[in-house]
Amino acid sequence: MAMEKNANKYKVNYGEPVGMLAAQSVGEPGTQMILRTFHYAGIEATIATSGLPRIVELVDVKKKPATPITYVYFNSDIEKNFEKSDAMSKKISEIKVSSLVKRVVENFSKSTVKLVLDKQALAAEELTPNQVAQKIAKLMSVETEVNEGNILIKLHTKSLKEIRVTGVRIMKKVIQGIEDAGKALIQQSKDGSFYVITAGSNISEVMKLDGVDKSRTYTNDVFAMYKLFGIEAARNTLANELRKTLEEQKISVDDRHLLLVADAMTYSGTIKGVGRHGLSGQKNSVFARAAYEETVKHLVNAALFSEVDPMKGVTENILVGKQIPIGTGAVKLAIKKEDIKKVKSGE
Amino acid sequence: MEIKKCYIYLNGRAIGSVDNPAKFVNEVRTSRRKGQISGEVNISYMEKLGEVRVNTDRGRIRKPYIIVENGQPKLTTEMIEKIKRNEINFAYLLRNGVVEFLDAEEEENALIAFFRKDVTPETTHLEFDLASVFGLTINTSPFPEHNALARHAMSANFIKQSQGLYSTNFDQRFDSRGYLLYYPQVPIVTTAAYDYANIKSHPSGQNFVVAISTYYGYNMADAIVINKSAVDRGLGRSVFYKSYSDEERRYPGGQRDKFRIPPPTAEGYMGEHAYSKLSEDGIIEPEVSVDEGDVLIGKVAPPRFLEENIGAGGLEEKVRDDSVVLKAGENGTIDSVIATETTGATRIVKVRVRSQRIPEKGDKFASRHGQKGVIALLANQEDMPFSENGIVPDLLLNPHSIPTRLTFGHLLEMLGGKVGAVSGKKVDGSAFTTSGKNRIDEYGNTLSQYGFDRHGDEILYDGITGRPFKAKIFTGVVYYNRLYHMVSNKIQVRSRGKVQILTHQPTEGKARQGALRFGEMERDALIGHGASLLLKERMLDQSDKTSVLVCSQCGSMGYYDYIKRTAICPLCGGNSLEEIEISYAFKVLLDEIKSLHILPSVKLNE
Ligand SMILES: [Zn+2]
Repeated sequence: MAMEKNANKYKVNYGEPVGMLAAQSVGEPGTQMILRTFHYAGIEATIATSGLPRIVELVDVKKKPATPITYVYFNSDIEKNFEKSDAMSKKISEIKVSSLVKRVVENFSKSTVKLVLDKQALAAEELTPNQVAQKIAKLMSVETEVNEGNILIKLHTKSLKEIRVTGVRIMKKVIQGIEDAGKALIQQSKDGSFYVITAGSNISEVMKLDGVDKSRTYTNDVFAMYKLFGIEAARNTLANELRKTLEEQKISVDDRHLLLVADAMTYSGTIKGVGRHGLSGQKNSVFARAAYEETVKHLVNAALFSEVDPMKGVTENILVGKQIPIGTGAVKLAIKKEDIKKVKSGE
Repeated sequence: MEIKKCYIYLNGRAIGSVDNPAKFVNEVRTSRRKGQISGEVNISYMEKLGEVRVNTDRGRIRKPYIIVENGQPKLTTEMIEKIKRNEINFAYLLRNGVVEFLDAEEEENALIAFFRKDVTPETTHLEFDLASVFGLTINTSPFPEHNALARHAMSANFIKQSQGLYSTNFDQRFDSRGYLLYYPQVPIVTTAAYDYANIKSHPSGQNFVVAISTYYGYNMADAIVINKSAVDRGLGRSVFYKSYSDEERRYPGGQRDKFRIPPPTAEGYMGEHAYSKLSEDGIIEPEVSVDEGDVLIGKVAPPRFLEENIGAGGLEEKVRDDSVVLKAGENGTIDSVIATETTGATRIVKVRVRSQRIPEKGDKFASRHGQKGVIALLANQEDMPFSENGIVPDLLLNPHSIPTRLTFGHLLEMLGGKVGAVSGKKVDGSAFTTSGKNRIDEYGNTLSQYGFDRHGDEILYDGITGRPFKAKIFTGVVYYNRLYHMVSNKIQVRSRGKVQILTHQPTEGKARQGALRFGEMERDALIGHGASLLLKERMLDQSDKTSVLVCSQCGSMGYYDYIKRTAICPLCGGNSLEEIEISYAFKVLLDEIKSLHILPSVKLNE
């Protein structure tokens, strides 16, 4: 009860310009970000986009973020144990043939493709040439043979094109881990438990693995979260990512501003950006849209469809010179003037 | 290490390669020192990159050094003696390979010694003087090694803006604006650069007695308090020159301008009073005092459109008034008038107006250490603090302006200036001549010799109560510049006034008696407070409020027919129109939308 009372005390007043306050509260500290680019130590800082580019990426809703990262958490029996966690990490970490191969030698007369392996890379991934050869044979359904630590692929075709295409296609094959999950790196959190971050995002496949804690695992790819979990998850991810990016730069913005931004971007059920193709471009008012960008386009379209401006927003009311429906302008008399006169005269 | 083939880049373009880069570079340098190739060629060998870079283009910053060969500087003691006897000069040293200029890239190849005693066999060059690590700009401020670089940058800007003796032939010149200090002084604390760059003959400030003290809250946050009595005696007083000029232009068709008092029939005639100060030839006389709106040069021009003259037959030629008028907010005395001819044989008249600028509240001053401030109070001498010797400071600087800016040079100058003032000698503040501690000791000794506190502190007495201050006040002499940002040139007020033709909104800028812009961010601030009525007042009532008639049937704009005494809608012919108040900008917008062949209509509620 006390909490409810307290919470009600801090309700936003009717007519409070929350949008303007949110915009200013995020925008003003944002100006300081351009000048300051400082990084935290650790692997995350080196692979993740941060600062203003990341904010722009979030509010403009890029379909694919520049640096997708998945945070994979494990069940309690795995996360306390390094060996088990490391094994999970190996299952996730995506290894492509190309990362293990130094060079490809095609032999068109013998119809073979020789993969010269990078022994150091192989050793780092704890793989043997034989293992790789078997994997390739399975994936491509071809005959393979290990020769002096290199892999020889025998093809049953004389077509030069096919031989070359096979060579190229093999390089893209994933021989271990989850496709598009990217390289996985094992991390230790403050409480000593292990988790994994990956330089890629294929969260739906990662979730299918046994031992992955589905309640905590998430990705910074807002769209991936939306597809897998729905709009509420996307909204939370958006707000969390905004806050994280700002906090990295030692900028503290009240959560409610960020939640409002996230709400505005997601309330329609899909994710909308804030720019020309999103919130600003889809305002109700013709004048507000025309005042923002592409003035003529909006005016002409409004004429084509005989649009009526409802005059409910701020911009359009300032334009014509009316009171804005915000703050002191948001309230209206409940009784008509004539009625007051009637009451006074005792009618 | 294998010797790689080295590419040669001439001004950034690869032009060839060389097998033995070190030898090649050496050869080029030798022939430059011999004078076989231009001394402006700089060559550097980037060993790690395997590149030889030759630069001959303009815009490189280059600095002279004494050449050192085999551990021996080429500038010998005999040469120094010869220089002292004026037998040889710098150009001689340059010609004879004693001195050479290095650019930033060639400096990478050099090992430069600061002093003669530091020269080793590996040394390639020797500095002339430690102060030469700074450029001319920094070297013109005293004790530069004790100030932060950012303050030097500011200081350089302020010196650029200072009023002084900018030119010795100022009375012969017709600069569009000129600022001249009445009593410019050479600083007590100077540097070597003042002699070399001949700055002493163009001083730009005065030596102020400065006390670092507060004064009843009048010098908070970079405000300064100045002694009014000192100002009355001429401290910081300057004269402001402004030149106006006009020319008798010729136009195609044989027409031309003419200097004369315009006839009352002229288009744009400003009334008899405006021309009252002109002499018969239509040009103002020297030593006449003028005010805003007075005509300085009377001129008539042919009308803008030729047709106006056709058919005038016999009557006086129609002309347009094109006189030069003293701008709003300006006044002064005519200093000088010249009338001459241009190369195109047209008459040209230049008028210089002079006006005195006595320091007043809001005028800007700065020391040579990037310490700027504006006058917040001109205190009478009797109200200012005074010392037991009866010395009253000219300027009171707030103590808070020192620690955050780290301008120790300012404090040193106060001490040095005080030493110079009491001993009657010039004080040298050149960079790196001695350590700061040595300087403080030396100045302290001199001060105590003359009976002053060795730290520069004084017991000051409050001019208002007559009681001594509890703390000793650090007092000294600092060279202050008066900057050309003066309130009298900037002040402007407006309540109602001109509006723009297109939008009916107030004009902008001082020259047009304009208003201050209530911009987008200010608008945001009012929205953020929910102050919708205040916002409406700013954006509409105080700006471009218009009332228009709108047809309640079709929503187009109508007018009132005063003959029929009814309002009429020109579109549907209806008579029921409502008067609404909108911004004129919105009316213009509706008109422009109509010009796009779109018909907007205004729907009225209630
Ligand atoms: Zn009508």
